Order: sequence, then structure tokens, then C-alpha cells
Amino acid sequence: MSVPAIEIESIQKRYGRFEALKELSLTVPAGSVFGLLGPNGAGKSTLVKSLLTIVRPTLCRGTLLGKKIGHRPTLAKVGYLPEHAKFPDYLTGRQIVSYSARMTKVVAKQATVKTEELLELVGMGHWADKRNGTYSKGMRQRVGLAQALVNDPEIVFLDEPTDGVDPEGRVEIRGIIEKMRDQGRTVFVNSHLLAEVEAVADEVAILAQGKIVERGRTADLVKSGSRFIVRALGPVPFELKAAFEREGAKVAGDRVECECEDAKGVQGIIDALRKAGVVVREVIETRTSLEEVFMRAIRQSKGGES
Amino acid sequence: MMQVAIAVLLDSLHLLRARKMFGIALAISLAIGVAYAAIGFDAEGMTLFGFKKIPNPMMTEGSENAAAFYILLFIDVIVRYWLAWVVILIGLISTISIFPDFLAEGSIGVSLSKPVSRPVLFLLKYLGGLMFVALQVFLLSLIAFLAIGFRIGEWNIGIFWAVPVVTFVFSLIYCVSVLAAVVTKSTAFSLIAGLGIWGFSLLVQWGEDLTYKFGVMMPEMGATVDVSTGQTKVAEEGDGGGARSWQRTFEGIMTPLPKTRACTLWLKRLIVFDDRESPLQGMDLGMVLTGAGDDPQMRELMVKYEARHSAWYVFGTSALFQAVVLGLAITLFSRRDY
Repeated sequence: MSVPAIEIESIQKRYGRFEALKELSLTVPAGSVFGLLGPNGAGKSTLVKSLLTIVRPTLCRGTLLGKKIGHRPTLAKVGYLPEHAKFPDYLTGRQIVSYSARMTKVVAKQATVKTEELLELVGMGHWADKRNGTYSKGMRQRVGLAQALVNDPEIVFLDEPTDGVDPEGRVEIRGIIEKMRDQGRTVFVNSHLLAEVEAVADEVAILAQGKIVERGRTADLVKSGSRFIVRALGPVPFELKAAFEREGAKVAGDRVECECEDAKGVQGIIDALRKAGVVVREVIETRTSLEEVFMRAIRQSKGGES
Repeated sequence: MMQVAIAVLLDSLHLLRARKMFGIALAISLAIGVAYAAIGFDAEGMTLFGFKKIPNPMMTEGSENAAAFYILLFIDVIVRYWLAWVVILIGLISTISIFPDFLAEGSIGVSLSKPVSRPVLFLLKYLGGLMFVALQVFLLSLIAFLAIGFRIGEWNIGIFWAVPVVTFVFSLIYCVSVLAAVVTKSTAFSLIAGLGIWGFSLLVQWGEDLTYKFGVMMPEMGATVDVSTGQTKVAEEGDGGGARSWQRTFEGIMTPLPKTRACTLWLKRLIVFDDRESPLQGMDLGMVLTGAGDDPQMRELMVKYEARHSAWYVFGTSALFQAVVLGLAITLFSRRDY
């Protein structure tokens, strides 16, 4: 089994009496896309910054790429695009990427090739020699993404990567993230855009008030709330209704709604209806969206607090 | 390490290129250099651009006075006023935003997430800021070196002492601005702090200088000044005691402060001529022009005046001031969360 890209045994960050991170633990498998979700002020950026030594945690036990968190040479294998990334207006896109390459000690020749390649990849090839001050917000974000990848990082932290990017750009960035996963890199995405994270993340964790309140594989989280709706041609007979309700299903008129992991679980209902001569008009599989999972987790965390 | 240094210093160069004031100051420096190089000497006196003649029997080609005038024109006027005043002021204004911008949210994270220690990053950024002044001074020193070489035949590499000395003077002010930037992240406050320490240290240095002249130099010349009336009279025994006491007070206040003016004036002592007696010791441009440099008593007093502080006092305590300020700034920068 490969070493996790991030393994936090415990991390805590206090600002005076305020606890931004409450001794949370987290594991991010290598080679996956990991989404960290949470409302504003939940501690998402603080967590990422703590891993990257930008913020000094009050307490920290864990590893990043197999080395103790805070081990500076390991940062050469890390890429980072901060939230509201701000690069100097006097630098061109190419110079921004080159700066990042030198800072992560990429060999000069390799850096030149890589810079060119990445600027093309993020759609900034034609604008590479224009100054950052002339770029739109979306263009700056694209350059920011390129600089985060210039050292061929094993893990990339993207804090709100699609912030200010147009819909076409968002699709492109999603494509780049998927490509990175295919190349075996770990991508850690901080975002409040749940649909985007759902589309791309293999695993997610939901952070609220400095604690992880929900975590797991994205597919499992949305699957755990899978429902099937069976619609009959006409109302469900009374005796069947009572039987279905005893099994935990909800019956209303021509609808029978049951929560089950997969289609096997709904076969019994279909069989019973057909045996009773009821025509099954349609079977619909509905999954809980990540947004619903998120809202539920946040509500539960607030309930727990109160 | 080298790659990181190149990255940060290149970034500073890009910043300087983008600053219009850097280009303007450089162009003016170039013009001043050309004007300086245009001054020459012949058998009758001074020449300008080789054709405009200013007859002066004291400034003829090959004379000690001409050599002293030409070198002191560079040290006492170009370095002392243009480089140590105007260029430093423009440099401060142009580089003042480096640290506040660097420390801004969304900017600092990119650099701190790289495998570079915070103190190294800080120092490289700091050195980048000093490049503004260093490049300007180097350009003018190069022109002066060539001009002095061709005009008076003195190929004196000591002229380049102006580069570290003026850059050091700038760094004494800049370090305070940087500390203010680390504490407040404010460009305006950073500028105010730099100008504030510069102004205060200058006031103290001027005060010390003036009281030394009144309390020590003038009584030794046999004259004294009545401070209440401003009248000069013949010195009697014990005259100047009050001024001397003030001079000691100013000197005490000055000790922990950066000695920007004293460092610039020290340059004259660093430019040494091996093959003949230096014309610079105990002499300033005014003395060359008025002929007062020929008065041995005056010359002796001036030598004493220039040597009243040791190199340790002028540079050592200034460097110590800078080390303390930078140490504080680095500590804050390294311990802070961003």
C-alpha cells in the first residue's frame, strides 16, 4: 500500500482564544483528487497553509509526502495556488512561472521548457509576455495554476482554483486536475463550489468550525443517500402500501420511495407490485448531491455545537 | 540556493525596470556623469567639453589643486548631494512598496510555500531593494573613475568605495522602512518610518557637527561665537565649554543612531592615493576654491575635525543599528502567520 500523500494525526491552530483548527486528523491517499469543503471561516485555508508552513500550527503531528509536516525540502515537490493569488503586476506571465520554477530549484533548461508547456496548457501561451497588470482575474488564475505546476509537484494544493474563471476555463481547469490525477499526482482542492468538487474529487472532507464533520469517498457519500422511486400505473393497493411501509419505504399515491444502496434493493418492491398485477410505469434512481451531504453535515455540526 | 537568489534578485530587477523613477534617476545620473566628465584642465585653467575655457591659475593641468578639485567635486558634490540625498530619497520612494506588496495576502503564500527558509527569503528580498541605489552609484562611480583617470591621470579604484558606502547609507534608512512594513504591512507607514529616522539622525548629526565647530574648532582658531548674539569674538580660555557640552550630548544621542551623513563624509578618507600625498584629507571643495586649503593650521583643524570619530563609531555603530533593526524584522517575519 502506498504512503498517503498527507497523513495528519493531529493538527491544532489557535489564534489567542479562538481555535481555528480543533485537533483534527486527516488522511489523503496519494494519487487522488481530494476536496476539502466547508463554509467561510471553517479553517480550510488555515489547514492548507499549516501544511505549507505559511501558518505555524499550535500543535502538529503528521506527514506530508512521507516527511514530517514542516520539512522544508519536501516543499520542492509541492505546488500551491493560494486563494486570491496576487502576483506582481510588473511581471509577465512567463516571469511569474519562471520565478516559481527557480524558487523550487527546477533546472534552468527544464524550467524554460516546462514554463512554455504550462502556459500553453492553461491557455496563456499568447499572453505569456504581457504583464500581469494587464490580465483579467481569470487570466491571473490560469497563470497562478501554471506556476503551481512548474516543478512537476507530487501534490498540488489549489485554494479556490476556479475563482474568477469563466465557465469554459472551469471546464479546462477540471480537465487539468483530472490529467494530474492520471499522471499519479495528488490534488488537494479547497473549494466552496460543491458541484465542481463533486465532479472531480475522489474523496472529500467537510470542515466546519475547525473540525472534520464528514469525510469519505465522494461516490460513497452520495451513494449513501441513494433512493429509488417506483411509480405504478394507478395508486398502490392498500395491502401492499402497508407491507412496503413496514419495510421502511414511503408510499404516496402511485409512488413507492425506498432508500437502498443499489438496484437490487428495489427488486422486491417491483416483484410485489407485478405479482399484485400493478403495472410499473417507471423506476427512478436518485442520488443525494454533495450539496445535500454538505448541508446536512453542516446542520448536524451546528446542532452538535448547540 | 543560487537559483533562489537569482529568482529573487531578478524579480527585484524587473521591479526596478518597471519603476519610472528608477529610469529617470538613472538618466539624470548619466547626465551628471557626462557633465562631470566634460570638465577638463589645460595650461590656463578649466575647460568644459574641451572648448569652453575658464581661466584659473590655481586649476591648471597637472596641478595638485586641479586634482583635488576634480576628485572633491565628485565626493563633496555628486556623492554628497546627488547620490546621498536625491538618489537615496528616490530609491526609498521607489522601493518602499517592495515589502508591503510582498507581505500582502495572496502574494506571500507563494514564496513561503517554496523550499526556502524565511530568513534567507527576507534577506534576498532586502538585498533586492538595495540594488536600486547600488546600480545608480555604480554607474556614476564608473563614469567618475574613467573621468578622473583620463582627466588627471589618477586611475584610482578607490572611487568605487562610493558604491558600498552610499548603498550602506541607504540600507540604514531602508532597514527601518522594512521593519515598519513587516509590522504594519503599510506602504505609507513604512515611508514615514524611513524618512523619520533619516531626518532625526540628520538633525542630531548636524547638531553634533555644529557644536563641535563652535566648541572645539573655533576656540582652537582663536575665535568664539556668542550664541545669544551670534557675534564672533576673540576666544579666551574656557570659551566654547557650553558648546562642547552640547556636542557631547549630541554625540551620546547619535551613538545608537545610523550615521548617514558621517558615513558619506567618510568616503573622502577611503579614497587614498598611494603615489602622492592625498589632497583630500582635511580639505573640502570650498577650501580648494577659496585657497584656504593652503593654510596649514586650517588644514590641521580640518584633519582633526574629520578624524574626530573612529571608523568603528561611524560604521560600526551604524552597522550595529542595522543588525538590530534587521534582526527584529527577520524575527517578526519568520515567526508570523500569513
